[in-house]
Amino acid sequence: MNPKPWRAKLGHRTLVLLATVYCLFPIYFMLVQSLKTPQEDVFGNPLIVMNPTLENFEELFERKGEVRGFVGDALRRSYPFLDWLANTLVVFAGSVMATLVASVAAAYALGRLRPPGFRWWRRAIFATYVIPQTILFIPLFQVVNALGLDDNLLALLLIYPSMALPFCVWMLSAYFQHLPREIEEAALIEGASRATAFFRIILPMSRPVLVAAGIFTLGTVASDFMIASVFLLSGQNQTVTAGLGTFDVALDELAGVAGVNLLAIPVVMISAVFARGYVRGLTAAMLEGA
Amino acid sequence: MTPVIARRTRRQRELRTAYLLLSPTVLLLLTVLAYPLGWEVWTSFTSLSPLQEGATTFVGLENYRRQLGDPQFWWAATVTVAYAAITSVAKLALGLGFALLLARPFRGRALVFLAIFLPWAYPAGVSVIGWYWTLNPPTHTAYAPFMGHVKSGVDSVFGGGAWAFVSVILFNIWRGSSFIAVLLLAGINAIPPELFECALLESKSAWRRFRLVTVPLLKPFLALGVFLSLTSAFADLANVWMLTAGRIVFPVIGTHAYWLAIKAGQYGPASALSLTLVPLLLGVLLLLFRLFDPPEPEAI
Repeated sequence: MNPKPWRAKLGHRTLVLLATVYCLFPIYFMLVQSLKTPQEDVFGNPLIVMNPTLENFEELFERKGEVRGFVGDALRRSYPFLDWLANTLVVFAGSVMATLVASVAAAYALGRLRPPGFRWWRRAIFATYVIPQTILFIPLFQVVNALGLDDNLLALLLIYPSMALPFCVWMLSAYFQHLPREIEEAALIEGASRATAFFRIILPMSRPVLVAAGIFTLGTVASDFMIASVFLLSGQNQTVTAGLGTFDVALDELAGVAGVNLLAIPVVMISAVFARGYVRGLTAAMLEGA
Repeated sequence: MTPVIARRTRRQRELRTAYLLLSPTVLLLLTVLAYPLGWEVWTSFTSLSPLQEGATTFVGLENYRRQLGDPQFWWAATVTVAYAAITSVAKLALGLGFALLLARPFRGRALVFLAIFLPWAYPAGVSVIGWYWTLNPPTHTAYAPFMGHVKSGVDSVFGGGAWAFVSVILFNIWRGSSFIAVLLLAGINAIPPELFECALLESKSAWRRFRLVTVPLLKPFLALGVFLSLTSAFADLANVWMLTAGRIVFPVIGTHAYWLAIKAGQYGPASALSLTLVPLLLGVLLLLFRLFDPPEPEAI
C-alpha cells in the first residue's frame, strides 16, 4: 500500500533512535558522572568513563568522612545515607499504600454506590489540583505543628497522598463506574455481601488500574523536592531527596550524583516492571469513559 | 416489610457506606488543603507579616490592587504564561510524536517504550539536582567549559539568567513529554483497530486520517494531559528555584510569591499573588471537564 516502504521504515527507525537518545541521555550522563574518580571528573572526557569506580557510592555509606586527596577532613561531611534510604522507603511505600487504600475506597463509593451528586464530588476532588502549592507550606507548617509532626516522617505521609489522590480517585472511579452492573449482581443474588463481591470480583479485575494508580503515586511522590526539604530538617530524619538537597555543588558533586542514581535505581526498576500494567490501566480507566 | 421500604433502607445503608468510604480522602484533603487554602485566602486580605510589630490589620483588596499596579507582577505573570505555553505545546507535540512512534509494533518496541517512560519514572526530586549540576556545573568538571560556553551564548542573546530559565524549560519538557507520551499511548490503545482500518480505506492522506480519526478520539487524553501540564507549570516553584539556585531573573508567579513570603516577609501580598492564578486554572479546568469527564454515558 505504501509507495516507499523502505523510506518510511528508515524514517521511523531514525525517529525512534532520536527519541531514545533524547530520553536516555540525561540519565546516561548522570550515571557516567557517578562512576568517575575525581581525577577523571576534572580531566577526562565528560561523555564516557574510562576507569569506572564505585567509590562515590561507597563514600555515601561511610559515616565518617576520611581525609582523601586535596580536600581536608574539615571540609568532608558525613552523610547518614542509610537512614535516608530507610526513611525514603518508609515514606514512599507508606504514601503509595495510603493513597491506594483511600482512593480505592473513595472511588468505589463514587463509581459503584453513587451518592447523589457523585460526579460533582469527583470533580471537586480533582479540582484541588488548581490550588497553588507555592506558599501553602506556611499554613501547612501550622497544621503539621498542631499535629505534633514537626520534623517527622509522618508529616510527609500526610502531605504526599494529597498530591496523588485526586488523579487516582478520578481514574479509579471512572473505571469502577463503567464496570457493568451484572458483574456484582450475580454474586449479590447468590447471597454474598457487597464487601465480598468487591474483594472477590471487582478488586482482582481492577489490577491494571490499581497498578496505574500506584505507579502514578510513586512518580508523584518521588518528584517532590520542596515538601521534603521544608518539613524534614534534622539529618537523620531526612529522605534521600531532602538530604541530597543539602549537598554542596563543588565539594559533594560526585557523591551527590551517586546518591541520585542510588535512589533512582529501585524506583526505576519498580516502574519498569509495572510499565506495561501502567499503560493498560490508564487505557482501562479511560476506555468507556471517553 | 414491603419491597419498596426494603429497597429504600438498603439504599440508605449503601449511602452510609459510601460516605464512610469517602471520609478518609475527604478528611485528608481537608487537613492538607482546605485549612491552608483558607489561611491563604484570609491572609491575602490582611497585612500579616512575621517581620511586623503590632496587630495585623484587615486591608481588603489592597494586596490585590497593589499587585495589579506592580510592573514586577506583570513581568512574572508574562513569564509564567510564556513558560506554561511553551512547555505545554512542546510536551504535547513531543508526547504525541512519541506515542505515534510506539503505536504500531516493531522490533524492540518494548525497550523503546521503556526508554520513553524513563524520564517520568526517574525520581524528579533528585534528577532535578542532577540536572542542575549538569547544566550549571561546578567549575572543575570536564564539561564545565562547554556548558559555560552554552550559558554565556544563551545569556548574551536573551540577557542574564536566560540560560537558567531555559534549563528549567528543558527539564520540564524532558520529564513532561514522557508522561504525556505514555498517557497518549494509553489513549491510542483504547481506539479500536477497526477504526484505523476503516480510515485507511476512506482516505489516502495520513495527515487527514490523523486529524479526523486519531485526534478526535484522543481528545479526552489530550485534555487531561494539557490540564496536568498547565497546573505543573503554573505551580512550578521547586524546579525553577532549584535550577536557578534562587538567583531569579525570570520569576514565575510561584517564585515571586515565594520570594515575597520568605525573603521579604510579606505574607499578605504573597498570598494574594499566588491566588491570582486560581480563577484562570479553574476556568480552564471547567472547560476541559467537558472533554475528559463527559456527561453520563447512560444518558446517551
